[in-house]
Amino acid sequence: MTKTYSEINEKIKNGSVVVLTAEEMINFVDEHGIKVAAEEVDVVTTGTFGPMCSSGAFLNFGHSDPPIKFEHLTLNDVKAYHGNAAVDCYIGCTRMADIKPFEYGGGHVIEDLVSGKPIRLKGTSYTTDCYPLAEVDTEFTLDDLNQAILCNPRNGYQRYVCAVNSSDKTIYTYMGKLLPNFGNAHFAGSGCLNPLTNDPDYETIGLGTKIFLGGGVGYVIGEGTQHSPSNRFGTLFVKGNLKQMKPEFLRGATYEKYGTSMFVGLGIPIPILNEGLAKKTAIKDEEVITGIVDYGIPRRDRPTLKEITYKELKSGSIELNGKKIKCSSLTSLYHARKIAETLKNWILNGDFLLNPPAETLPTDTVFKPMKLTAELKFVKDLKKDAEICYDDCDIKVVAEIIIRKNVNHIVITDRDRTLKGIVTSFDITRAIAEDKDHLSDIITKRVFTTKDNEPISNAARKMKINNISALPVLDDERRVIGIITSEELM
Amino acid sequence: MTVINVTLPFGLIKKVDDYSKIINVILEQQISVNILKFSTGRSGINLLLDIPEDKINSITEALKKNKVIVNKKGRVIVDIEKCIDCGACVSLCPTDALHLDEKGLLEYSLERCLGCGLCIDACPRGAIEET
Ligand code: SF4
Ligand code: SF4
Repeated sequence: MTKTYSEINEKIKNGSVVVLTAEEMINFVDEHGIKVAAEEVDVVTTGTFGPMCSSGAFLNFGHSDPPIKFEHLTLNDVKAYHGNAAVDCYIGCTRMADIKPFEYGGGHVIEDLVSGKPIRLKGTSYTTDCYPLAEVDTEFTLDDLNQAILCNPRNGYQRYVCAVNSSDKTIYTYMGKLLPNFGNAHFAGSGCLNPLTNDPDYETIGLGTKIFLGGGVGYVIGEGTQHSPSNRFGTLFVKGNLKQMKPEFLRGATYEKYGTSMFVGLGIPIPILNEGLAKKTAIKDEEVITGIVDYGIPRRDRPTLKEITYKELKSGSIELNGKKIKCSSLTSLYHARKIAETLKNWILNGDFLLNPPAETLPTDTVFKPMKLTAELKFVKDLKKDAEICYDDCDIKVVAEIIIRKNVNHIVITDRDRTLKGIVTSFDITRAIAEDKDHLSDIITKRVFTTKDNEPISNAARKMKINNISALPVLDDERRVIGIITSEELM
Repeated sequence: MTVINVTLPFGLIKKVDDYSKIINVILEQQISVNILKFSTGRSGINLLLDIPEDKINSITEALKKNKVIVNKKGRVIVDIEKCIDCGACVSLCPTDALHLDEKGLLEYSLERCLGCGLCIDACPRGAIEET
């Protein structure tokens, strides 16, 4: 049993089309089987509503009089990219405002724009004979623009990972706030409702596929960046007219200490052309598998600790190493459902026809890592021997070593070289000023440390954010095997 | 005035005397206290107390000595206009005070909130504020 796009469109026009959301399709197939589903169901709608950092909009302001060619441009103090013609720009959602960064960014500009709020445009120019105006400071709303086109190079990941944190500190990531020692877990994507999950072989989704985007109509315009079909991490490049969109489905977001982003509502209708698609669109959360990934390790290839299904992820907690961990989503499942429902209603109302893609998405591309010409340096390459004193030694001895060896940091250990703390030349000065004569009075016990195989840039960041100038290097038994100080990093 | 959130754990008060002991602790501070809320929670009796700001440390100390749990900060409020029901706060909440209902909408239950504040900077919409 096969159907064609035009047969489905006929049914949409004459009101006899049968549309189910991806969740409803599961029940339908369970009840009636794939054969009946393929015959009776014409379209399955999908939806997701999550933070999608690769999102932004092209805007065209029209010409001022006298005309200007923007050299620098901000929208509500957020820099926009203006490397196009005179009055075109691209506002990206992760660009943060110069004033109030980490509070307001490009995603918020787009939300405000779609909400009809006035946006402050400030621009300057080096001026040319044809574009003599040097400066513009004005306000505009969405209606004043010629074109406002949401254009997102990477949306709608087929699936995403579940993030946890093995380190001993709370970390703030694009996967949200992750508590130390596997204190919580976050996942993204709507599982069985996810668009690409329902058409995993890209039979119907490709260049020209008409979709729900941000509350309006949009189109897939090709594979997204980092599209990685071989391991089922496909992505989509999408665009749509911002003027039809709704703020409910385009929301600016800020992840603490990470930056800004935007929640994008995306829904794709899948025509049930054959039994294969009926089966694929009936995919259940327990069949969508992803990995639990340790974001506590700040490297590109973070370790995957375990495989997990979206069913477990959506249950509110996951199990890892015999421990129950609270787990929640970054994607709004409520809105994902609402998007699938809305798209379904559009089709049922005859407002939304389907079309075959002009070109389907590639199924064989690979997502390559960045090519770095400079060799990655590790702590072991730059560390030096640490000057060590035992924890029962006299402050005077410590002071002598500081002078004799001309160092600023003395690492304090026990007789087994297990780290006990650190003492700086400043601590010694303070001890003298405050008349303290025991090492235990001045020692810093909570010490940030590093390991041989940590990249230098990560160690440097640790020093910078904690405002310290040295890190003892430890082996796996927490014994001191060296030190790295800010001097080596210069 | 400032609000503190204290819990009298179940089992702490067995006799009337136990009660008077705690009341005396507060009276000794020579201040007036408003009880804003009195409720039974999972772990005991929860009180939301309005106390003078400058006494917060001494009262906290005194209560803790008597095994009353003082939850550090006040509670939070969720601005539902800003909230988009993503769920990013839910995994942070140690008591399920923040949770998603069957439809996937965020629900916040004041009774269960400890005021720990873990959720506040987890919200990408700035929808959670300390009261
Ligand atoms: S303050 Fe703590 S207990 Fe209250 S809702 Fe937030 S995380 Fe939950
Ligand atoms: S993190 Fe913020 S926006 Fe998301 S559900 Fe919680 S309160 Fe709502």
